[in-house]
Order: sequence, then structure tokens, then C-alpha cells
Amino acid sequence: MATQTGSKRSLLVSLILSLVIAFGSLGVTLGLGWGPKLGLDLAGGLSVVYKPATPATPADMKEVVTILNARVNGLGVSGATVQLQGKNVVVSAPGVKDARSVLAAVGQTAQLLFRPVLCMTTTAKVVHYVAPSKLPACGAQYLDSEANLAVTPDNSVNGFSMNQSIPPDPAFSSIASTSASADVASDEVILPELGNPGVRLVLGPAQLSGTAIGTAFASLTQTNAWVVNYTLTKSGSPLWDNVAQTNFHRQVAIELDGVVQSAPLILPASSAFTSYNGQGQISGSFTQSSAKNLAVAMQFGALPVRLVPLTTQTVSPTLGHSALVAGLGAGLVGLALVLLYTILYYRALGLVILLGLGATAAFLWAVISALGHTAIAPTFSLSGVTGLIVSIGITVDSYIVYFERLKDEARAGRSIRTSVDRGFKSAWRTVLAADFVSLLAAVLLYLIAVGDVRGFAFFLGLSTLMDIGFTWYFTRPLVILLGRRSSQGDSKLSMAAGLTPGGAHE
Amino acid sequence: MSDVMTTRQPNAFGRLYQGLTTINFVGRRKVWFTASLIVIVIGLCSLGVRGFNLGIDFKGGSSWEVLAPHSSVSAMTTAVQNAGLPQPTVTKLGSSTYQVTADINSLSQSAQAALTTKVVDAMATTAGVNPIQVSTASVGPTWGGQVTSRALEALLVFFVAVVAYISFRFEPKMALAAFVAMVHDLLVTVGVYSLFGFQITPDTVIAILTILGYSLYDTVVVFDRVRDNTGGVLKSNQMTYSDMVNLSMNQTLARSINTSLVAILPVLSILVVGAYILGATTLQNYGLALFVGLMSGAYSSIFIASPLLAGLKEREPRFTDLALRVAQKGESHIFSAREAAMLSSEGSQRIAGASARRPDGSVIAPRPRKQKRR
Repeated sequence: MATQTGSKRSLLVSLILSLVIAFGSLGVTLGLGWGPKLGLDLAGGLSVVYKPATPATPADMKEVVTILNARVNGLGVSGATVQLQGKNVVVSAPGVKDARSVLAAVGQTAQLLFRPVLCMTTTAKVVHYVAPSKLPACGAQYLDSEANLAVTPDNSVNGFSMNQSIPPDPAFSSIASTSASADVASDEVILPELGNPGVRLVLGPAQLSGTAIGTAFASLTQTNAWVVNYTLTKSGSPLWDNVAQTNFHRQVAIELDGVVQSAPLILPASSAFTSYNGQGQISGSFTQSSAKNLAVAMQFGALPVRLVPLTTQTVSPTLGHSALVAGLGAGLVGLALVLLYTILYYRALGLVILLGLGATAAFLWAVISALGHTAIAPTFSLSGVTGLIVSIGITVDSYIVYFERLKDEARAGRSIRTSVDRGFKSAWRTVLAADFVSLLAAVLLYLIAVGDVRGFAFFLGLSTLMDIGFTWYFTRPLVILLGRRSSQGDSKLSMAAGLTPGGAHE
Repeated sequence: MSDVMTTRQPNAFGRLYQGLTTINFVGRRKVWFTASLIVIVIGLCSLGVRGFNLGIDFKGGSSWEVLAPHSSVSAMTTAVQNAGLPQPTVTKLGSSTYQVTADINSLSQSAQAALTTKVVDAMATTAGVNPIQVSTASVGPTWGGQVTSRALEALLVFFVAVVAYISFRFEPKMALAAFVAMVHDLLVTVGVYSLFGFQITPDTVIAILTILGYSLYDTVVVFDRVRDNTGGVLKSNQMTYSDMVNLSMNQTLARSINTSLVAILPVLSILVVGAYILGATTLQNYGLALFVGLMSGAYSSIFIASPLLAGLKEREPRFTDLALRVAQKGESHIFSAREAAMLSSEGSQRIAGASARRPDGSVIAPRPRKQKRR
């Protein structure tokens, strides 16, 4: 292909098509109102990198990604992504206004645990810390035992009656709640209960983890009460039955991240234990949001490993906006300086660069905007902007290589008509060789590096590919056509003005 | 041979523009190499004595940023100290952004979160904005190690891939010369960073990787010309390999300088407009490394890679013999791009002086002739 420079007709078609495609696609994108998917540092938002606290299998990490994704989406954050990068999980939510509250929700890193409720206690003003193994036993009269609770199925609205007046155990009221780091599944713990201030629960060692839960969803019953329905996994079903049988007519606490989400009674409306057969329902005084939160926590709370945040970053929308302005400003000023220089140096040929860069920029913007609507492209961040600004140099270099070749040919006394053909052939080979190196760097960086580097590499690679395309389909036909017309070129705008020895600078 | 060359004495830029430069790149390589060596040794000494100014991404730590046009460094420092932040460093970025950094990794996770909230509130109050306008970053002590090791991994793979590509596409000696030029740029950039105490962030690492790619890109363009020119050098008996490299360098000098300028202009714009006027720190991190690296890259592809290649090739017996033959004929000569173009056109019966200058400075190109196919 590279040896055939083509007929006038095919050159014209190529030139016009490339311009139509470039500016047409920009028009379509703008018409559709599409824009690039802005990254964290430009739009503001949140980004966290988590590392598993203990070595985890790839399957575990995949599950973590699924769960975190569900948590983020469950919060209604649009455009948030959760990705596995190497052994780390990267959560980013660009465009989030109040990043800190999202961080709190996503950052629930603990496992979901089912613990038997031993007894209840209050919060005290003065607290001291007691090691889990040295916690006192619940007093007999305070114990949440089957006998004390005295759950009796009957024909009331709830379907049962019970002793609601077991007092809190004062022995625990001056002991601090278990801290996140001391919250171990196999230990006894004291934890606060969600939506029940002033009350804390003393819980036994966990009997089951959240991996037993298959699905959970909130729904409204016929009596207009919110409940949480859940199903159990195949392996989880017998395990849950086991827990339920052990704690029949007693409370089991559902713990997530050191907070008891709910502590339902087991089968209060039945007189004897029956198998759950893989599904169940939690009822109580739920509101719509508390039922939904519990369902989300039950289904998505169960991380197979504990996560430790490696790095957390939040960017305010104002700082993001000012960075966007700075990036665009720097890019435009840089572009203007480059064009000014090339037009001064190459005169008429500089105008070719102007048109070419305009077309490349138009097409690039259209492609980036279109990619912003898919999942493949990384978000457009400040590092991506830098990648593009750097690629201005690489793009313009293709023109420079070609034009310097033209000058060589013209120096050898060849006509411009001949030079444009011969010059392109040798320049094209150079451009391919050099752009390949740039592509190689972009691809390797994209594959190996972490975080922002990938965005940088992606946009650098994209613009290098565009450079190759535009050199062949735009620069080649335009310059060759100009060259064929310029035999009578004595005007300031003719190609000769940029080429001939001593023409411009003396 | 040409009246243009003898009757007028254009200035340096004019000579470059007209392809009249006859710089002996290969012959004076000791000068170029020594200059680089001095810069690198100074940089490495500084590295040994002062080390790097590592950002929080490498040491671990926390940083907070807020846009506060009507505040001051001292007001910000007092505010965060009152919030309980130990040993804060407060810097003003650009015209109105304040950055507070401190290392609070020794605290427990919940204490870190509580302190972060206090600092954010204190900064927001000082700046007179809503707390959500404060940006935060916290980096655990092990994150930096990961960034570094991934970057080194990328660097190694890149080196291997590049050497393989050039060996295959060009030849192994060109790969070696290009590799040395890359290492040169790496050392110079690292040295300059240590010497001036610029902060190293993951962005710097990205930028350095880009520089290496760019420096290589530059070198490949020059080597492409060298390969073109040296194709028939053994048959001609007129020029040594070094002469050919010199010619290639003089031929591509205008391109090298133009390309470097065109690459450096946007980077300067990143630095001046983006970072200092508008105050985007990420841009500053990229811009500094790119600026230093592009300068070094432009230098190394002209003054390190090509002279080194000539030195390596001249050791090959066939080129040593060629150098002897040329020396016996006494024809070793540094050609300018213009002379070389005329020499090559003599072969195809074209006369260099055929284009006539008009009084207004524009030029009438020679009448198009029937193209001769090679």
C-alpha cells in the first residue's frame, strides 16, 4: 500500500472522507450531548484502593468486587466503578458530591456474622476496656434464654407473645463496646444495635457467616409492614437450620461491621423447630429504608475477606473543576504555541498542520465521548489530559518528518510535484517505526501499571493510532494534491513558501 | 558547487533551516559524553547525599487540599494544629489552593478517621466553605511500595520489549545505543529530581516512563535515517560509517530540533499555565518530569545515541577497512544536508541551482519534469 500514492480521484475521496468523518462525528457527538466520562480529579469524587488483610484467592477477590459493586450501586451512585487491579480492589465514584458519606457506606469492610444474643445492656458514660476472654457471664435473670424470653405462639396479630421485660445486665454497662480490630468471629463481643440507641447487645461467638445467604430483598406484606425476605445457598441451608435449631425461640443477631443490623427471634410463631427449607423472612418494626438496608447488608455484606484501605482519595467538586480548567487551558495554550511555531516555520504547510490537528482533535473528542458511554475506556482524568497534551508533540512530529523530507527532496532540485510523492514514502516508514514505539510504551503501561497510569496510557495510545490514520488518510492526500497544483506556485500561500532554501528566514 | 553556500553567511537558525549545518556529531563525542557524565555524576552524588523528596504516596501519610482565596499559610497552619494534627506541613499551591500534609498512620484507623474529620472541618472553616469542598488523600505505608514495584516492573518489560523491537526492526547495535540513551535520560531525570528536591509522586513515575518512550521515539527517527543512508556505504568508498551518521544527524537536525520544540511547548504550557497560574498539582508533577526528561531525551538522541552507534559500528572490521580506504583517498568530509542532496541529484542529472530566486524572496520551483522511477 505504501508504495502506491494513488490517483487524484482516490486522493480527493480519501481527503474529503477523512474530514467528513472527523468533523461529522464531532457534530454527531455534540448533537447527542455526549461528553467524556470525567475522572475523579476532574469531576470530584472518591477513590479507594483496598487490599485483602489476609492472602485471598482470585475467586475470593472476584466475589469482593461483585459485592462492593452491589453496595455502591445499591447506594444509587451513578458512574461508580469497582475494579480488580492486581491483588487490589479499586473503588472509584467520580462526580459524587458528598464523598465522605459514600466512603462510610462502601468502607464497611467487615464480614456479616450471625451471633446468638446472650443478654442486653445499656450504654454507660464512663467506660473501660475488657479483653473478650475476660468478659463476665450474663446474670441468670438477664439472660436471653428460651426460658426467660418465654416465646409462646398464639392467635395475636404478631402470632406470638413473649416476655418483653428482661432487664439490661448492669455488669456490662461500664464495659466499652468491642472495637473493630478486636471484633473477632470466634470471640464474645458487646456491640451497639442499629436504630436502637442506648441499647447494646452481648453476643456469643459467631455461628455462621454471611456466605450462607443467597439473596435478600425488602418487601411490603399485605398488612403494610416492611419485611426482609431471604434465601439461603444450597450449602448454607442446612447450616442455617442448625443455627436456628440451636437458638430456637431465641434471638440471633445479624452483625455487620461491628453493628448489629437486626436481632430477630427464631420461629416465634411456631411451637416446634421446623426446617427453613432454604428461605426465610425477618419481620419487625422496619421502615422502608431500614428494611432495604438490612437486605443489602445481608446479601452484599458478606465479604469473603476483610479489606484494609491502602489509599483513600476524595476530591471536592470545586478543586476538580479548577483542575479541568487548568488542564484544558494548558492544552489550548500549548496547542496555540505549537501552531504558531509551525506556521512561522513552514508557512503554507503550517496551515496543513492546523487543519490536520483540528481534524484529529475533533475526531479524538468524538471517540473519547463515545467511549465514555461504554465500559471499556478508563475515565478521562488529569493524567489522560496530560497524555493527550504529550501526544500533540507526537502528532505534529509526523508532519515535521514529512515536511523535512520534502525540503530534502526540494534541495536535491526535484520539483515539488515529485517531492511530495517521494517524500511521503520515506516519511511514512519513519512515522510507522516511531509510532510503533510510542504504541508499545502505551500498551505496556496500560497492561502493567496501576491507577491513573492506565488512563494516561490509554489516551496516549489512542492518539498515536489516530496519528497513523490521519497521516495516511489526511496528510498524504492533502499535501500530494497541493503539490500537484503548486507548479505555478509563486504566491505567499503556495507550498513553496515553506520549503525552499532561504525562503522564510534570512 | 553552490553559490548560495559561499556568497551568503546565514546565522545559525538560517543554516539549520536551509540544511547547511555540518556539525561533527561523531568526532566530538567525547565532549558530549563528558557533559552528560558530569550532569549524571552530580545527580547521583546528590542522590547519595540527599536522597529523594518522596511524596505521601511513597512514604504513607495524609494530605488535605482546599481552595481558599482569602486565607494564608499561617492561618491554615494554626487551624489544623488546633484541630490536633501533629507536625503539619502547609503549602500554597498555585494562586489559592492550600495543601496540608501530615503522617498519621501511627494512629488507629478509627482515630485517623476522627482526626481527618476534625482537620477537614477546621480547613473548611478557615476557607469559609462547606466541608465537602475539602479534598482528602490518605495513603497507607505499604501502598508506595506497590506503586514503585509496579513501575519498575513496567520499566523492565518496556526495556526488554524495546531492545527486542529495535534489534529486529533495525539491528542489535542500534538497540544497544538506544538503550544507553534511555538509561541516560533516566539517570539525568532522577538526578535532577534529587538535586532540586522536587517531590516524587506516582505521577512522576508515569512521566518518567513516558519520557523514555518519547526519547526512544526520537532516537528511532534518527536511526531510521542512518539505516537509509548507510545502506550502500560499503560500496561507495567515499564516506566512513561515522561520516554517514554525521550526515544523517545533520539531515535530521532540523526535524529533531523542531520536534523537541513542538513537544516541549505544550509541556511548558502544562507547567506555566496549568500548574503555576491555575494551580493543578497533578499537572505540576507531570510537567516537571516531562520537561526535564524531554530536554534530556532530545539531547541524548542527538548527542549520545548516534555518536555511540558510530563508535560501536566502527569497531566492525568491514567498517574499519572502509575507514582506512576512505582515509587513503583523503575524502573523509562532513556533508551538510544540502550538499548530500546535491550529490544525490547529480546522479539523476538534476541541477541544484535550477530554482531561481525572485526579488520578493519567494522562489520559482523548477518546471516539473517527467518523474524517473527508481
